[in-house]
Amino acid sequence: MKIIAVFKWSRNPQDGRVGMNGTLDWRGVKMAPNDDDPAVMEVANAIVEDGEIIGLTIGDGDIAWAAARGAARTMVVTDAQTETDSSVTAAVIAAAIKRVEGVDAVIIGDSVWDYGVVSALMGQLGWPAVAGVVSAAKEQGRLRVTRKMGTASQVLEVEGPVVLAAAANREEKNAPGMKEVLFARKKPVERLTMADLGLAPAGDVSSKGTRFPDTPPARMIDGKDPVAACKELMAALRSDGVL
Amino acid sequence: MNMKSWIIIIDERRAGGMLDAAKKLGGQVTAAVVGSRALADSIAKLGFDQVLCFETAEGIPAEAYALQVAEAAKAAAPRLVLASDSSVGRMLLGSVAAKLNATMIGAVRLLAVDGESIVASRSTADGKLLEDIEVPGALAAIFDGEDVEASSTKPVPVELMPVEDPGTTMRMVETIEAEEAAGLLTAARVVGVGVGLASKDDLKLIDDLAAAMHAEKACTLPVCDDMRWFPSNRVVGSSHSQIAPELYIAVGISGQPQHMSGIRDAKVVVAVNNDPEARIFKNCDYGILGDLYKVVPELISAFKNNG
Ligand SMILES: Cc1cc2nc3c(=O)[nH]c(=O)nc-3n(C[C@H](O)[C@H](O)[C@H](O)COP(=O)(O)OP(=O)(O)OC[C@H]3O[C@@H](n4cnc5c(N)ncnc54)[C@H](O)[C@@H]3O)c2cc1C
Ligand SMILES: Nc1ncnc2c1ncn2[C@@H]1O[C@H](COP(=O)(O)O)[C@@H](O)[C@H]1O
Repeated sequence: MKIIAVFKWSRNPQDGRVGMNGTLDWRGVKMAPNDDDPAVMEVANAIVEDGEIIGLTIGDGDIAWAAARGAARTMVVTDAQTETDSSVTAAVIAAAIKRVEGVDAVIIGDSVWDYGVVSALMGQLGWPAVAGVVSAAKEQGRLRVTRKMGTASQVLEVEGPVVLAAAANREEKNAPGMKEVLFARKKPVERLTMADLGLAPAGDVSSKGTRFPDTPPARMIDGKDPVAACKELMAALRSDGVL
Repeated sequence: MNMKSWIIIIDERRAGGMLDAAKKLGGQVTAAVVGSRALADSIAKLGFDQVLCFETAEGIPAEAYALQVAEAAKAAAPRLVLASDSSVGRMLLGSVAAKLNATMIGAVRLLAVDGESIVASRSTADGKLLEDIEVPGALAAIFDGEDVEASSTKPVPVELMPVEDPGTTMRMVETIEAEEAAGLLTAARVVGVGVGLASKDDLKLIDDLAAAMHAEKACTLPVCDDMRWFPSNRVVGSSHSQIAPELYIAVGISGQPQHMSGIRDAKVVVAVNNDPEARIFKNCDYGILGDLYKVVPELISAFKNNG
């Protein structure tokens, strides 16, 4: 199979510093790979057989991340911004995918913080698409995909080309060692710009900034005197109607 | 202004919340049910202006109908399309968004109209902030706001949409039901235990609290994966079970987003933690700052006396 594995380096939204007035400050926050991206590489490696995995990313994270996990080469769109409008970000990814001929599967992380990009990409490619994928296998030439549905799992058979959004259920187990990383850095990288993809920086969608939600902050109860603390809690729960 | 909305429905989750959010924008609200006729019938009782049913065939996943749903949406040209964050719903939403050339925004909690624009408020920074986004054109949003109980005195008739056989590009092979942790998913009260518990013997404390509260027990991922104190069907969080109890008491849990997304729909969340900086204190209703070994025994007596 010819597989494009999309991976992402970005600042995790939970790491941004929240200012007193509801602003969000990203200074000094490190880029991190997406939680689900190791699952992308696992699924890709499980079905690639004697084909090829091509890494695809946007921006200036660790370009060799996918290569260290089995990708033969990597494409990177160097000058695209992560847009407020997930359709715009997805269009960049879709345009890069369309440059590659004969793709059988696109695998992307099933987005921990914001599902927008994955949904938009699935729609834009217009291929059969499955989200919440925990594993995949090739059986007698057919692609079998297992996805989570609530607490059950569902096995689907899908005919390609397909888009799969893979979801991790824990931290990466076998992260590559120094040797694989150094070797990966020698693999080919194709750098693309928005102009190469025929895209202009777009967007008539604008952010009006961040603010605190209206929900009241937690009521803190000092537990130094546990008896009094529990009494206070029970009274509060009773007035909330949950006791 | 055209404020017509479409709500893509594959199960009842958040259907009332999405209806409520769309209604507030003022236009006609259509439910596009992709699934069984029975589901459409129960959705028709919630108060939508129109209910369309794309009836799916046995053994074919709803996603296989994505293009047909998207074509129908294009013909209706809604300004706003909503879906919940279920894997099936957001895939269908993506298809509709592509056909409508719509802006896509995830994690949307509130919607409002400002002049000719829709303002979508999405949650960011792990739920600590809302970002207001002004969208001048069509908007496809993954709705993550409060669910609302909805019902209407006059159900609308379900309109069966003509659907074509989507062929065999996608088909269901089997569904494997997980061995359910008796009652956890539907429990009214749940005690969650995290790594703050020092040893397996101390689980007795949690057992006693659960018994006093008449609650089910749940845990964080490391308590299952690293400690092996509970099987994985007791783990609550993004990659495991989602629960919606009336009362959730988190004991020795730091409140990482992967855990908290599993209890998003809980009504009241209480946290017991001895770290004033614990993330969970930003994300709960009541926070008891203290040592769980001192607080939990008192909680047990309090529930025994009052609960
Ligand atoms: C892909 C992926 C998926 C994941 N999915 C899930 C998931 O579905 N569910 C899940 O839960 N996690 C999940 N995780 C893990 C998650 O990121 C956190 O690691 C985990 O939730 C932390 O568990 P914890 O709160 O028990 O432990 P910790 O973060 O270690 O917190 C322990 C807390 O106990 C407090 N404490 C210690 N001693 C005491 C005391 N004596 N009294 C009171 N408080 C005390 C500490 O202050 C601390 O806040 C996932 C991670 C990844 C990468
Ligand atoms: N700016 C981006 N660059 C590359 N991939 C992205 C970007 N934004 C989202 N993605 C992809 O979308 C998935 C979900 O991202 P997120 O919603 O941030 O969790 C990631 O696993 C990436 O593969």
